[in-house]
Amino acid sequence: MDQLRNKKPIPWQRACHECDLLLTGGLAPPGQKLVCPRCRCTLHRNGNHSVYYTIALSLTGLLLFIPSASLPLLRFSLFSFGADNTLLNGVYSLYKAGFIWLASLVLFCSVLAPLGKFLLLLFICCGSAWKFLDRAVAFTVRWYQHIKEWGMLDVYMLGILVALIKLRDLGKMDVEPGLYCFGAMMLVANLSSLSFDQNAIWQRMALRRALREAAL
Amino acid sequence: MSALQKALKKGMTSCLSCHQLVILPANGGHCRCPRCGASVHGRIDGSLMLTWALTITGALLLLPANILPIMSAIYLGAGEPSTIISGVMQLYNSGMWGIALIVFVASIAVPVMKLLGLILLLVQIQLRLHFVPTQAMKIYRVVSGIGRWSLLDLFMISILAALVDMGFIAQVAAGPGSTAFASVVVITMLAARSFDPRLIWDAHDGDLYATAVEPETAHRSAAENG
Repeated sequence: MDQLRNKKPIPWQRACHECDLLLTGGLAPPGQKLVCPRCRCTLHRNGNHSVYYTIALSLTGLLLFIPSASLPLLRFSLFSFGADNTLLNGVYSLYKAGFIWLASLVLFCSVLAPLGKFLLLLFICCGSAWKFLDRAVAFTVRWYQHIKEWGMLDVYMLGILVALIKLRDLGKMDVEPGLYCFGAMMLVANLSSLSFDQNAIWQRMALRRALREAAL
Repeated sequence: MSALQKALKKGMTSCLSCHQLVILPANGGHCRCPRCGASVHGRIDGSLMLTWALTITGALLLLPANILPIMSAIYLGAGEPSTIISGVMQLYNSGMWGIALIVFVASIAVPVMKLLGLILLLVQIQLRLHFVPTQAMKIYRVVSGIGRWSLLDLFMISILAALVDMGFIAQVAAGPGSTAFASVVVITMLAARSFDPRLIWDAHDGDLYATAVEPETAHRSAAENG
């Protein structure tokens, strides 16, 4: 019933999600962005080849995730003692000391959410090519919106830099290969969330539906 | 009729998840977005109440977060627990004022400014004070954008705890204040999320708490317009 009503032709195409202003222009032309005339919020950024760029970037991110999660990021040595920092052993040492809430927050924001973002983006962009995945893709887009802001690789990177400078005059700090992979993963994560445009996915799905209806 | 029209007055609203324009049901309730399946309300349900509750919780938690030690660094048997402020002072005294500034902004200025910004927005809306909506939107965008950087201190503690773990020679351990601080960050992020910026414009236009008009009228006026 509701679905039928929503299909009635309306001159309005979009309402600004931050100030509720009704607008007649729905989508931005390729390579440009649509800005709300009243509150100046970005309504739609239409990047070129959004779907393919996002697939490529999220695959790169997933590949980079393997070395940056398994290789040590930093090494600190004092006298003859030394210890490595990987993405996971900081979480483990917090967990061991009994800070479960803190450990799970750090784990979620620095490991699970970025990994989840790459996986969801890959699923959304690849899955939107098949009809039987339509519902799953719609559901995934919704989940992506929820976890989007919790992936904090850039904040973690700044944390690494602060730790690096803070411990520099206490002992010997070494940058390990994992850090380069981590830096690259951070860059790719930001690029992939920039290049992802959910309107491209909805358009792709709508186009396929229209083609199917035309073929019948 | 003015050129600027609100979606809610026409019985429509934008889905917050996929930005699809959705026609709300006649009884003023909520419905599912036909495109992405998210629950769609005219405005976020109980936005002001929820934001107040989370903001007050965050402000209360800010006290233990700043009073209790956030981490303790022990070097050759000496060392003591440090709070957020004493950590910043330590960095400043050892000449690393750049890093001290970054940590100060991320873990003291940002949470306090976020809470103040949210309280300012809520008071402006609820007391219907005279304000410029574009400035209020700027506050809202800053508040919702900067929140994540407060987690910097906690990430740093987790890195230090893993790196400096050599028994009695040197050890860094998290303190009880860090749990409170983590809660402050998460709760203020949730508060910024639960705040609905469209209420700023409702308060500005003087139709706060207005209900959606009947969709029948919406269709009629849509037909008149198009």
